[in-house]
Formats: sequence, C-alpha cells, structure tokens
Amino acid sequence: MSALRHLTAPLIRENPITLQILGICSALAVTTSLTTAATMCAALTVVLTLSATIISAIRRHIPSSIRLIVQITIISSLVIVIDEFLQAYAFSISQRLSIFVGLIVTNCIVLGRAEAFAVRNPPLPAAFDALGNGLGYSLILLIVGTIREFFGAGTLFGYAVVVTQADGGWFQPLGLMQLAPSAFFIIGLLIWAIRTRWTTQIEAPEHRIGRVSEERS
Amino acid sequence: MSRLSRFRAVGWPAHTHPSSLWLIAATPPAAVALAQGGGPAAVTLLTALVTALAWEQIFATLRHRPPSAHGAVTALVVAVLTPLNVAAWELGLAVSLGVVLAELVFGGRGFGFVSTPAACLAFLGFSFPHVQLADPGAWVAVASLPGAALLLVAGLVSWRVLSAAAAGFAVTALLTTGVLPPGVFVPLTFGAVFLLADPVGASATNPGRWLYGLLAGFLVALFGGFDGETAPIAVVLATLLANTFAPLIDQIVIAVEVGRRRRRV
Repeated sequence: MSALRHLTAPLIRENPITLQILGICSALAVTTSLTTAATMCAALTVVLTLSATIISAIRRHIPSSIRLIVQITIISSLVIVIDEFLQAYAFSISQRLSIFVGLIVTNCIVLGRAEAFAVRNPPLPAAFDALGNGLGYSLILLIVGTIREFFGAGTLFGYAVVVTQADGGWFQPLGLMQLAPSAFFIIGLLIWAIRTRWTTQIEAPEHRIGRVSEERS
Repeated sequence: MSRLSRFRAVGWPAHTHPSSLWLIAATPPAAVALAQGGGPAAVTLLTALVTALAWEQIFATLRHRPPSAHGAVTALVVAVLTPLNVAAWELGLAVSLGVVLAELVFGGRGFGFVSTPAACLAFLGFSFPHVQLADPGAWVAVASLPGAALLLVAGLVSWRVLSAAAAGFAVTALLTTGVLPPGVFVPLTFGAVFLLADPVGASATNPGRWLYGLLAGFLVALFGGFDGETAPIAVVLATLLANTFAPLIDQIVIAVEVGRRRRRV
C-alpha cells in the first residue's frame, strides 16, 4: 500500500512542478508543442526511475562524502543513453528538443529525488517514488503543452484540430502562446487552481501588509 | 502630511477616492479618441469597460469586498491606445489577461507591481501580430494635460518621474540621432502620464523616482519612441521593463540611505 502511496502522492498533492517549483526551465522550453513535451516527459521519467532505482540499490556502498558525484555520474550516463537513443530512432524530435534532453542531468527533480528519497530507501519504494514524480512532471507538461499547442497553432501532436485563418478557416492562433511567458502564466494559473482546491499547499505569507487606508503614491 | 490631504487643503472634498481622480483625468483623452474614431472606437471602449469591470466584479464577489472602480480607468487608457482594426474578442481577451494577471491576482489595485493598462496592451501586441498600437495623436496629448495637472497636484503622479523620463528620453535621443524636434514628445505624453508614471509600478522613494524615470525615458528612446508609429508600443514595453526594476531601485536607495544614516550616528 505504501509503495502505491509513493506513486500517487507526487501526481498532484506533492507535484514537483506545482508544489516544489522544480524543473521549471524545461517545462517552459519544451511545451510549445505536445510532441516535444511528450518526448521530454518520457525521457525524464525513464532517467528518473532508472537513476533512483540504481542509486537506491547501491546506497549502502556509496561513501557519503562523494555521493553527489556518484549520483551525477549515474544520472548523466543514463541521459547520454537516452539522448543517443532519441538521435537514433527519433532524429527530428531530438533536433527540436536540442539540448534539453542533455540538460536532464541538471534537472532539479532528478537529483532532488535521488538525494531526498533514493539514498535512504529500498529500491522498490525509490522506483515508485521516482516514477510518481516523473508522472507528476509529465502531467503538468502535457497540460501546458496541450494548451500552448492548441491555442498557439490550432494543432495537437502536429495534427490540425481546427482550421486556422491562414488556411482559410476561422481560428486565429494566439502568438503569445508560442512565447515562453505563456508557460509561466499557465503554470501560475495551474498552481493557483491547485492551491485553491488543496489549501494545505498554501505557504505562509512572508510578511503582511497592515491596514491600507489610501493608495500608495 | 499625506499627498492627498495636501490636495484636500485646496478645497477638494474629503475622502475623494484616488480612482475617481484617475477617472476624471483619463476621461478627456478617452473622449477625444472616441470622437476621432467614431463607431469602432465606441465598440472598443465599451468592450474594454465591460471586460475590466466584469472581472473587478467577479473578484470582488469572490473575495467579499466592495468592487473597485479602477477597472474603468484601465479600460479608458487601454481604449485610447487600441487600434480600430482590433476585433472585440481580441481586445476582451487581452484586457482579461492584463486585468487578472497584473492586478486582481495580487489582490487588486495597488498590490501588483506593473501598470495594468501596460500589461493589457502588451498582451494585445504579443498575442496578435497584426496589431500595431494606435498613435493617439496631438489632440489626445493636449486632452491629457488637464488630467496630468490634476494627478500631479493630487500627488498621484510624481513630477520627478515625469521630469526624469523626459530628460532620459531627450538625452538618449540627442546622443543617438543628434536632433530633438519638440514634436517627438507629443505621441509620448499620454503614455508617460497614464502608463509610465502609474504609482503602482513606479518607484516609491524620491531618489528612486529620478532613477526610475531616467531608466524609463532611456528605454522609451531605445525601443523606438522617436517614431510616431512605434512610440505607443515603445512606451508600453519601456513601462513594463522599468516597472520590474522599480522595486530593485527602491531597495538600493533604501540600503544607501540606511548606510548613510548609520555612518552619521
């Protein structure tokens, strides 16, 4: 039962993007289209799950003083494998993702789960925890990618859903959706919605404003 | 003595809400723009008004607060700079995004950190590539002068910000082009008063206001403020960028002041 809890908790309640605000850079960069977002999700989930399992399996043999170096070595080896795999079997997508697959090495979620969970838990819970976090990341990326591709280009996975004005239809794409700020706005609105529903996620304010009697000028 | 009470001392009714002064100030330029644009301008103005006030009402209801009337000011300012070839739904979407994301999510007027009409206009410009913000023209500039005077006397707009912005713009213009015809200030007047000098986004310390104004004026010139066609979008983008630096400028000014006082003791 507890293994299942490790899998489901990071989906929304402890989501790495919307609660811990990790992995934002790639969430902005790869979500202009659903194809790149889905590929990135798969790559990150695979790297995250495998690295957490391996690190957890050898956790008693890693000297504490060099554990970060060992973790990074394992993660980067996996990333290289994934990157080569994409270049071999999905070359065009790998070109569009450019450096972002390679940058999974520096993705805070991967090292974060290794350091926070895998080094002190057995392999099975570690694998479930990593898979859950990968799926939580994927959930947000796919939502953002769907919104951005649909409103920004009128397509989903590259297939036209509505006919744009350029092709003689009625739909006018929103240029803003293809720009990075829109991902910030969508993630911000998602966080707002989630914290309205799950109020325990709301952080305590850092400071409070006293009674405001007139407009600041 | 607060700025508004100084204004009351010259006979203005007590408890005048700042938003009513902003509304009075923004009405003449909006009326001129309406007279120039005719029917399409009326549709633009009505769309902006209905959208902004509807969001204000929704958030006021959700938060159990009295609604603010400031949405009307935002709508008037946005309508003046909106070109007539913008469809109503496009403007409605841009105003919705701007009013909600730049003002209402923070808790309403005064709690955000960027000028709300500037955010609406930036959303409009970035979302729809065919949109080029309208050059308000000389009559709008003339019509915004009484409002500017009112806001200056009431202390709602800082003369330091406006002077520094004019200076920053003039110096940059002189350094880059070598000439400074007085006419280049005309398309910038409305935006300078209602976007750049909006106290929500501007610095709040007096030295900070000078620095903020200089930065904003420099940015307006950098973004193409000389040209009547690009002047409105230059003011909008300069406002947003300068707004994001305003808290940092204030922080530095306060840190310097604290250090100075500590040495004196």
